[in-house]
Amino acid sequence: MGTISLEHSDRLYWLGRYTERVFTTLKTLQKLYDRTIDNRSGYAEYLGYFGLSDSYGSNRDFFRSFLYDSTNPNSVAYSLERAYDNGIVLREEISTETLSFLQLAKDTLAKSEMSENTRLSLLPLVDQLYAFWGCIADNVYDEEKKNIIYCGKTVERLDLYMRTGYPYKSVKKEFGRLCKRLKNVPENTPFCCNSQYFGEIEDIVGSAEKYSSESSTALVDLEHLFEPMGAAV
Amino acid sequence: MDRRLYCLQKNGVITMTQQNNEQCTKAVGNADEINELLRRYGVKFGIYKNGVFNEQFFPFDPIPRVIPAEDFKSIEKGLVQRVNALNEFLFDIYHEKKIVRDGIIPEDFIYISKGYLAQCEGITPKNKVYSHISGIDLVQAKDGEWYILEDNLRIPSGASYPLIARELTRIAAPQAFQENDIVDNRNYAKLLKETMENANCGGIRAILTPGRYNAAYFEHSYLAEHTGSVLVQNDELFVEDNILYHRTYSGGKTRIGVLYRRIADEYLDPLNFLPESLIGIPNLMEVYRSGNVGIINAPGNGVADDKGIYYFVPKMIKYYLDEEPILHNAPTYLPFYEDDMKYVLDNLEKLVIKDVAEAGGYGVVFGNDLTKEKLEEFRRTIIAEPRRFIAQEVIDFLDLPILDNGETVMRKADLRAFVLTGEITKVWASGLTRFSRNPDSFVVNSSQGGGFKDTWVLSR
Repeated sequence: MGTISLEHSDRLYWLGRYTERVFTTLKTLQKLYDRTIDNRSGYAEYLGYFGLSDSYGSNRDFFRSFLYDSTNPNSVAYSLERAYDNGIVLREEISTETLSFLQLAKDTLAKSEMSENTRLSLLPLVDQLYAFWGCIADNVYDEEKKNIIYCGKTVERLDLYMRTGYPYKSVKKEFGRLCKRLKNVPENTPFCCNSQYFGEIEDIVGSAEKYSSESSTALVDLEHLFEPMGAAV
Repeated sequence: MDRRLYCLQKNGVITMTQQNNEQCTKAVGNADEINELLRRYGVKFGIYKNGVFNEQFFPFDPIPRVIPAEDFKSIEKGLVQRVNALNEFLFDIYHEKKIVRDGIIPEDFIYISKGYLAQCEGITPKNKVYSHISGIDLVQAKDGEWYILEDNLRIPSGASYPLIARELTRIAAPQAFQENDIVDNRNYAKLLKETMENANCGGIRAILTPGRYNAAYFEHSYLAEHTGSVLVQNDELFVEDNILYHRTYSGGKTRIGVLYRRIADEYLDPLNFLPESLIGIPNLMEVYRSGNVGIINAPGNGVADDKGIYYFVPKMIKYYLDEEPILHNAPTYLPFYEDDMKYVLDNLEKLVIKDVAEAGGYGVVFGNDLTKEKLEEFRRTIIAEPRRFIAQEVIDFLDLPILDNGETVMRKADLRAFVLTGEITKVWASGLTRFSRNPDSFVVNSSQGGGFKDTWVLSR
């Protein structure tokens, strides 16, 4: 039954964002973890991406906080809780089966905290997130609803890629994906993008040179992408 | 080799043949595994304790309650009869009140009941159905006889738990379903959808929930998912030109034809009931009164499931249907009547007393738990407020086996049967069997720590 309330559309969007935040944060932390094995680098650079100061005594403390501390708003645990909070009020839209993968992911993360091998214990979590997305593709029949979730997912990925210094090629690819999603957003809905901000991002991401000097502007524009026209900062 | 899990005793009572944990686990699945699956699928209920909301998993016991086919046939007939009579009663009470005029039920019991709503006078819901979903609580006595404990005709909850549990036990213990002749109960959503469609006045189906922090939120969302209904909260709904609409995110509106509301009558419409309700929909009752939306269950049903009215249900069956009741009430006394008052006061220590205004296992006092002083105090309260209480004989009801830390132990259990009235009245071949985890308690409610088990209705 294709009727979407404002509340649900917001939940669908943030379900996409938070689940992607879990996934990309996890992926980035796994890479960082790998680098710290050889003492090639520490976590200071990562903190810098978010404008955070170093209050961690060791790599171990840093990873524990960014993986398991649900009071740290940048942690995997925090984002997973928020994804679940959104998912649980969307059961009838996304299905019980889809929601179960978020519960499994929560259980895996809780078990991982007790494990001696962090990376190994987190591998099933990645599988569960892939399964979650597979279920979204398969179980959400309403394309409009699905597109809202995917818009959230892509905006989040683009945001994190730009924020954490992913290569230009990856950013451009994700932006292309976002453009396709935005084309499918019906008019007069909250996820119709603000053409002014969209235009600026398009302009910056369109050129490698421009992107290298103006990525922070694109990031700010992305934050305002769904603001109504005329609400420019 | 007969590998069935149960055997039938001479008194008609089914007992399990597997007596130890190992045998039970082999036969019906591992309790921990099934509970883990229930956790995975988010089978929870919410509970407020000291003002704090917590979600709890509803403990499941894998040893099923088994109801033989013959027993179920008789229960089914009795429940259909009872619910049909209750629907007739509701129509009568909000129209001509013949049953009062004819002296079958004293007027006091109607108008003093908190469930009677003057705002519903003269309203006839589509197809004259008031109680679309009835949750009838039964217990089986040790002699095999089934008794009705109470009727729930407002917003009975609990069907989703056995529904999902059956899905999961079929995964965890498929052999149990191969080796036993069990009626498939996974048609509840289909029955509910049919029931909703029968009440539909033109538009989409919606389930109204008070929100995420309601005790039964899991059920609301699960039933919405499985009936293909839209799960809504009040702020998404509005009334315009006497039609109920769902407000869409694009600023549009979609007409709602039937609303399965999971909020109590008094909160439903602040312009007709409690003005301070923040979870209701202003003017909903006008839309309903005009026949432009079906409400499941109909507002005002509380008058028929009042614990005081319960006493009169067998009389209703005779009055409206001219039939003898198939299922019996637990022996009940109304202190309102002089003879009953005398009996109750003389026998208080062996009776169970229920406050008619309470629900969920609250307001239930067993006379034998009271000290002499408390009994005396209670006698005085009953004399002062005779309409407030009913008294019942304590039925020595059948204990059911449950697994408790690897041991099979016997506990009190009841059965909530779900009866759905659409074009005709149908009984769901299943139900919610709740049990007490406390060996000394008769109270099985989930809010008071009870668990649940699957209910197998045998096909032959």
